[in-house]
Amino acid sequence: MVRFIAVRLARALLTIAVVVTFAFVVLRVSGDPARALLSPETPAEAVEAFRKAWGLDAPLWVQYARYLFAVVHGDLGQSMRDGRSAIAVVAERIPVTLMLTAPALILNLLIGIPAGIYAALKRDSIADRLVMMVAVVGFTVPSFVLGLVFVLAFAVELPWFPSGGAGGWQHLVLPVITLGLGGAAVLARFSRSAMLEVLGQPYIRAASAKGVPWPRVVTGHALPNAAIAVLTIVGFMVGNLIAGTVLVESVFSWPGIGSLLVVSVVSRDLAVIQCIMLVVAAAMITTNVTIDLLYGMLDPRLRDLRSGRR
Amino acid sequence: MSSISAEKVLPSSRTHRLWWWRDRAIGIAVAWLGLMLLVAIFADRLAPYDYAALDLHHRLAAPLGLGGTIAHPFGSDELGRDVLSRLAISIRISLLIAFGATLIGAVLGITLGILAAHFRGWVEQIILGCIDFQASMPFLVLALAVLAFFGNSLLLFVGLIGLHGWERYARVTRALAMSANEHAYVIAVRQLGARPWRVYLRHIMPNIASTLIVTMTLAFPDIILLESGLSFLGLGVQPPLTSLGNMVGYGRDYLTRAPWILVLPSLVISLTTLSISLVGDWLRDRIDKTLS
Repeated sequence: MVRFIAVRLARALLTIAVVVTFAFVVLRVSGDPARALLSPETPAEAVEAFRKAWGLDAPLWVQYARYLFAVVHGDLGQSMRDGRSAIAVVAERIPVTLMLTAPALILNLLIGIPAGIYAALKRDSIADRLVMMVAVVGFTVPSFVLGLVFVLAFAVELPWFPSGGAGGWQHLVLPVITLGLGGAAVLARFSRSAMLEVLGQPYIRAASAKGVPWPRVVTGHALPNAAIAVLTIVGFMVGNLIAGTVLVESVFSWPGIGSLLVVSVVSRDLAVIQCIMLVVAAAMITTNVTIDLLYGMLDPRLRDLRSGRR
Repeated sequence: MSSISAEKVLPSSRTHRLWWWRDRAIGIAVAWLGLMLLVAIFADRLAPYDYAALDLHHRLAAPLGLGGTIAHPFGSDELGRDVLSRLAISIRISLLIAFGATLIGAVLGITLGILAAHFRGWVEQIILGCIDFQASMPFLVLALAVLAFFGNSLLLFVGLIGLHGWERYARVTRALAMSANEHAYVIAVRQLGARPWRVYLRHIMPNIASTLIVTMTLAFPDIILLESGLSFLGLGVQPPLTSLGNMVGYGRDYLTRAPWILVLPSLVISLTTLSISLVGDWLRDRIDKTLS
């Protein structure tokens, strides 16, 4: 078990190192930030002064070393737009985004998993077909289209909820449902196929054959085994949720990380984008490590696997 | 692959009926995709106006049936540009980008997958590490960062979207090529002295192509969703060029006054991704059930 955890943590650290380097390479090698940020008419001395101020005049490897040193010390530079520290700018948005993503994830799980399991148990019934049809529609309709449909229906035609912005709980309803439904569709499809896979296994037939009542077979044998497969996709879902948040926050002008990212990309605010990428990477890695550890708890067979390639 | 259930062998009348419906749905999906392809090919003949031509006297004109005239059958946008013309060109641009990006992703992924299967060892480990990295970060966030700093040209944009999804092809190709390498026909060809590239291109590729085509079909909707999402944010296809996501993004400012600007492109995106998904699922069930 110790070895299992150690391997997982080592891989997580490696991924962080890759993300940090990736951020540096993409952000620094791709072009001259001074040129990108300042208008073409800026006098040459001012450009030079800007470069000096941000350390852009040093050789690339020196910049990389400085950058690594700063990142390790928790210094991600200042926002080039308002001069505040990038971490502070990003940190104040994190709880705002979590207010959307946390309920959305719960909604995903609450709708997606039961729907998928029900469809699998009633395989090829009308209910199964209906659930799967809704699920296919749910994950092929882009989240921004779904969001705009909701705005048109429940904010414009029927003025029940505000069309955007942050405020009371009413502001949360439409964006959370938009984010929740897309993910639920993916989860429902996946839970169904995971469950069907398990139901086809010999041990299910064996349990039925020795006279275990069907409900007991489902709860005692099928569900625990399907849960392991479903857990795999939760990490992927969190990634989807983060990407979806960028779009949905934009539709509903929700002042979270997603909106900040879009604004920062438009204004080419290096430090803030870097910081957001690290936050996203950290969130993804935390999720994946947690899932890996949960695997170990749920399924003793996996504890002994060396690197656990799925 | 392992379970052949009773109803597959002896279909009941109910499953028969469901299959009948499914076949109809696939038929409609294929017809829709054919229509989209025709629109994309003949976009410039279909468009009554130039897609960027302004008509300031007829701004936000309603479409036919909502009080509009035949001059702008699908209405016009905030600058008086014809929605029908823009829609046709947008379908062409979006499909072109999606095809280009899918091709890039497939070529890259298949190449890396074959390299991993052929060399094994540290080459394979590095490629697997890249797959893990790619799969662990939401691609939209990576793409936004790259777009911010490389600036935005159409060529770069297509290349960037092509990078999305390469890991699927790499994973599938690696697994398939590794198992093919154990097969008698590959061993025989190798014994006869064929070079590795000949073995992979002439002998293994034709045998795994059907699975790769299914993978491609399943990945295609994601590519369209990524492109339209980025364009919707205003960070993808840049004006004056137009794409489906772009039309929705700029149209949302007129959501209440002129919903026709974004309704049609939204519908086209949704129906197209839906159709490809249906066809992809159907192909997967026919060709290779193990793919997910």
